[in-house]
Amino acid sequence: MAVTATAIAAVAALVGCSAPSADDSATDGEVAGKITIWTWDAPGDGLKAAIPAFQELHPDVEIDVQDVGNPAIWEKITTGMAAGGSGLPDVLNIGIDYMGNYVEKFPGELVDLRDFGADELADEFPSGAWKSGSGADGAVYGIPYEVNATGFFYRTDIFEQAGVDIDSIETWDQLLEAGVTIKEKTGVNLYNQDKAASAADSAGLWQLLTALQGSFYFDEQGEITMNSEAGVHSLELIKKANDLGIVGDEQGSWDTLLASLRGETDVAIMPSGGWMAGVMENEAPDMAGNWGVRLPPAVEPGGITAAVNGGTYLSIPTESKNQRTAWEFVNFALGTLEGQEVVYDGGGMFPGYKPMLESEGFAEPSEYFNGQSPNAIFIAELAQDTPVVNYTSDYARALKALTDAQTRVLLSGADPEEALNEAAEQVAQQTNRKLASD
Amino acid sequence: MNALLETVDARPATDRRRPPSRRRRSSIGHPRLTPYLFLLPTILLFLAFKLYPYLSAFWVSLTQNVGGVTAFVGLDNYIRLAQDPLFYTALGNTVLILVVQVPLMLALGIVLSVAFNSMLLKWRAFWRTTYFVPIVMGLVAYGILFRALFDSGDGIVNEMLGAVGIGPIPWLVDPFWAKISIVLAMTWHYTGQNAIIYLAQLQSIPGELYEAAQVDGANGWQRFWNITMPGLRPALLLTVILSTIGTLQLFDEPYVLTNGGPDNATLTIGMYLYQNGFRYFDFGYASAIGYALTLIIAVISLIQFRLFKEKTR
Repeated sequence: MAVTATAIAAVAALVGCSAPSADDSATDGEVAGKITIWTWDAPGDGLKAAIPAFQELHPDVEIDVQDVGNPAIWEKITTGMAAGGSGLPDVLNIGIDYMGNYVEKFPGELVDLRDFGADELADEFPSGAWKSGSGADGAVYGIPYEVNATGFFYRTDIFEQAGVDIDSIETWDQLLEAGVTIKEKTGVNLYNQDKAASAADSAGLWQLLTALQGSFYFDEQGEITMNSEAGVHSLELIKKANDLGIVGDEQGSWDTLLASLRGETDVAIMPSGGWMAGVMENEAPDMAGNWGVRLPPAVEPGGITAAVNGGTYLSIPTESKNQRTAWEFVNFALGTLEGQEVVYDGGGMFPGYKPMLESEGFAEPSEYFNGQSPNAIFIAELAQDTPVVNYTSDYARALKALTDAQTRVLLSGADPEEALNEAAEQVAQQTNRKLASD
Repeated sequence: MNALLETVDARPATDRRRPPSRRRRSSIGHPRLTPYLFLLPTILLFLAFKLYPYLSAFWVSLTQNVGGVTAFVGLDNYIRLAQDPLFYTALGNTVLILVVQVPLMLALGIVLSVAFNSMLLKWRAFWRTTYFVPIVMGLVAYGILFRALFDSGDGIVNEMLGAVGIGPIPWLVDPFWAKISIVLAMTWHYTGQNAIIYLAQLQSIPGELYEAAQVDGANGWQRFWNITMPGLRPALLLTVILSTIGTLQLFDEPYVLTNGGPDNATLTIGMYLYQNGFRYFDFGYASAIGYALTLIIAVISLIQFRLFKEKTR
């Protein structure tokens, strides 16, 4: 009988280990002990850089920054959250596109940071970025780590060699024409794309082009707009570039990206997030002077030339046993000028913290970019009136449907409009969301 | 992946009839309970880690998460599944890979096992190990290796084909070739395992049969068809069913090699289940896919049992 009881207790312990511990004392506690952070490549470098400075203030704290890898981190977080938070670390680096989903599907898994007085920081960040990390009721689930405007980078040496003046390019149509010239003169592709999306999704360009027309997968009501006129036009532009033969086919991995940054596989332009400026300086120092940066061309003549390109947050899971320490670190890294400076130097993520953006030297011309100031460009971009981006909880489905549609267009010559209509209907069927066009 | 293997392993368990005990029952406690007491730890572990997840997943398949709240929706997920074109794409891909890959791999496995068993082969232990090693290779290493091999630009396979003037084949990025790549990767991964199973069976075939056949003037081919193949039948049944189940649950290869793409050309039921669960957080629907897959596997395994049974008669 005793054996039975022990065995049952053991099994119960194994099964019940995921029961959430409602630990009220978590917000008090001392700033000491060990905390673990899940993040990936470059953002991880930034956070690691903040550790020595933080330890000067709190010598008893040990911080383990784990590079889980992107996109692997999303699955790991999902698994942990589905298991009631068991196995999650003390700090999570969460992408803006996943934030709504985690908050909506796993309510109560992230600490409402107002418990630590995070609402005092609200005014220090761009309101849009702050809002995407908060719940409808104002609960704060994440502090913005990166706030990204689109970075439109180009190779000055290649444009020069082809005799194309980058400053004269105002629209994407003109850019594609320039791409043809560049290909003829230098043999270099305008840009690279993971056409089959076999390594990662490759929807970044479509998202940028669509955002430049004031549209996205969903509108503010959450209805599906990916097959809108703007969406179709974006895919047509992508098809046109492909048909012109100026698009390289490269797998969408971090390694191939680095190869492009370092000029090992040449591309003439690289539309990306603002964070790329820092990554370029850190990962491709030999290319100093060969990369330039500007606002992206408009899709329509005179159209907007700014788009928000995602962002990330630092959040604390409710399962964390050391929430106080986790918060102190997050607050130091993102909510103080001292912390922001070391984090920015270490990883190059474009910050949202206003005192940092306004601080001396932040928007100064960069030698790496031939005396241009990428930061000044991004600050100006963030100030433009960009359309609201509603990721919704069904972003992942919409992204997959879009990527598949794009693959059909690029590899099998499908019609962009038909492909997008199919994709939109598939998302509607999977999610019960309405098509905005109906 | 292995949840269903047990059913098959349990199959050959012969009727272990205990010899009637003449000894008098021991007077300590309740001797009839003793075997159950010994089984208890296993039964408890089975209940906690097998039965509970099965039942729990079935319950989840009847629910949907709406705004963080789990709601009972009855058979809604199954009805949705029956109308989901992507599920049929996944089913079609999986069955296609099954029909092409399993016969190819098993035929190769037989050839290899006969070679491993041959007295003419030197360093037999070395060869057997070499062919068995892929089965223990980790998923990540596997992915890196085959990506390096099948890269459509400067992949090793394309470099080699280029050297003989064939070329370049868009291995992982073309809907047709992506399926071929998956078939090749799986064959590399699992053939050795099947060959080892066959080898074990081959060694149970009495050598006298071959000697007698030789005396009667049977040539090598005849000996293979009339002695080796019938002798292999139990192992064949086992491997056919194991491979079928494994392929129906196929996940590793499309996950690491093609991400289910391009345009869902290598989307398998396992991949689709995973996407719905871990990408879209739709655990109810993912569980429904899991149960649909279980049903499919059960039906196919049953058919295979029947077919093989009739052949043995």
